[in-house]
Amino acid sequence: MTRTRLVAVAALLVLGLAYLRDPPWLGEVTSGMLRWEEDPPGTRFRWTIGRASFFVSSAATGMTLPLRAVFPGPNGRPVIVRVFVDDRWLADIELPRPEEWVQTRLPLPRTATTRRFRRIDLHISRTAVGPFILGVMTGEIRLEGPLS
Amino acid sequence: MIRWGLRYFVGFAAVCGLAGYLWLFTRDSADAPIRSDGYFYYLYAPSWLIYHDVSLEAVAQDWNGGVYPGGIERWPGTNRWLNRLPIGVAVLMMPFVIVADLLTRWSNLPRDGFSLYYQHAAALAGLAYFLVGLAVLRRTLSRYFAPAVTLWTLVAITWGTNLFHYAVYDGTFSHAFSFALVCALVELTDLWWAQPARRLTAALGLVAGLIVITRLTNGLLLALVPAWRLTSWSQVGGRVDDLWQRRGAVLAMSALAAAVVAPQLAIYKFATNHWIVNSYAPYGLGFTFLSPHLFGALFSTQRGLFFWSPVLLLAVAGAFVARGWARQVLPAAAVVFALNAWVIASWTEWQYGASYGHRAFIDSLALMAIFLAAFFTWVGERPRLVPPVAAVATLATALSVVQMIQYWLRVWPVRDTTWEQYRALFLTFR
Repeated sequence: MTRTRLVAVAALLVLGLAYLRDPPWLGEVTSGMLRWEEDPPGTRFRWTIGRASFFVSSAATGMTLPLRAVFPGPNGRPVIVRVFVDDRWLADIELPRPEEWVQTRLPLPRTATTRRFRRIDLHISRTAVGPFILGVMTGEIRLEGPLS
Repeated sequence: MIRWGLRYFVGFAAVCGLAGYLWLFTRDSADAPIRSDGYFYYLYAPSWLIYHDVSLEAVAQDWNGGVYPGGIERWPGTNRWLNRLPIGVAVLMMPFVIVADLLTRWSNLPRDGFSLYYQHAAALAGLAYFLVGLAVLRRTLSRYFAPAVTLWTLVAITWGTNLFHYAVYDGTFSHAFSFALVCALVELTDLWWAQPARRLTAALGLVAGLIVITRLTNGLLLALVPAWRLTSWSQVGGRVDDLWQRRGAVLAMSALAAAVVAPQLAIYKFATNHWIVNSYAPYGLGFTFLSPHLFGALFSTQRGLFFWSPVLLLAVAGAFVARGWARQVLPAAAVVFALNAWVIASWTEWQYGASYGHRAFIDSLALMAIFLAAFFTWVGERPRLVPPVAAVATLATALSVVQMIQYWLRVWPVRDTTWEQYRALFLTFR
């Protein structure tokens, strides 16, 4: 490989890495979540697995996270969803009644970041095992703040 | 033109593979690349790299509340997880998964082992090994066949069979990896018998070990090494003498292969308290050697190798007309192919689940490529036969591509296809 080609490859690598540091499409990326569905009254939701991740705008100052357990925890105990923002613990949400949607408003900490999005991770205390492994239902998240 | 085509063939296959991959995995209805058997092959990689856990317990707890979907069971007695699929694919994927892991940290994606970059790294690893396999196969064939024969053989093997499908659509399954390893086995075995250099001995030992831990039954293919280019029983004694003279290299090769296989045995011992185990036993699967489904595996509409990849019938013809080097390779290749077919057809689930064509034969396509090339050479020496054979080979390859796209569009049943279904769905795309 000539020196020119090496420099070109290195430059492409650096440009690619710079782009991937904060890509604009990250807000659409999820992990551990099944496809959107709609239950009869018209409420859109997605099932999580035992853990799930999604992204919200860094400008948001808070979010309302709708959750529904559907299946109870072991021995009828509430299902607990632990919420993390960029790997920092934010809240534990208790879902005591399986059929009820729980709308929890969570303030998002104002930490300095150069990224467009913050990562939200959910860890669910139990899963329901059938043809699929299911955690909890998540509804459409409402954001607060300048870009909400 | 032919030399140019041969030179850039692997690059062209890469472009086609990436185009197919993008088309498949950017559709709204696309499944995640890590799915089905691919999930179980891949599972070791995040367990080791991210969860620092060889027991597979951490992924079960973190993702699934302490369980797994069918495919991994707790072994009775030890209560530890036993993955029915071996570690080789995860080992071969590991460089790709490490890059994905670094990029995941860089982009602030969840370091959970299954988020965006991990999914594509695992699947593109399969595509990359398929390309490596093609490059190695080109090298082997180019040594013994004319450039035109080598080129058309590569085209037929890539698109006339289900190889391309398993590199692009199901790249997390073991077949693209096994294809590359068997191509390497053929190349290294051929070179090693010509000149037993240390680097060839080491490479052959490494590849032999990887073949076993990628797909355990492919250990059968290692019989090619001692039997390479033996053409009669009278040569067997001489071959034993040859191996004895090379005993140092044979020992080194075997030791290296054993070292590669050792972690798999250690995992079996840890999970079950046994060094060797039928990991499919919890699912009631095993071999029925006295009643193999040979017709089904080779010719049926359900899964027949030659029904779904008819261009390979030309390789069978090639076995009868092979000359020179290919003729010398034939006895070992034929015995290994026959034994392999018997093993594949004796598996309780001889259709190998949901798949396009018979996926278990992909691993040994490197052997069939030799006889396809031998057939094309024989035809090339008979100019009157060239047009009809070229037409048949082109049609068979085109049919395979069309049927692969039908499978991608979910036109075909994923298993148990009947003749009536085949006729009804032939060349339909909805």
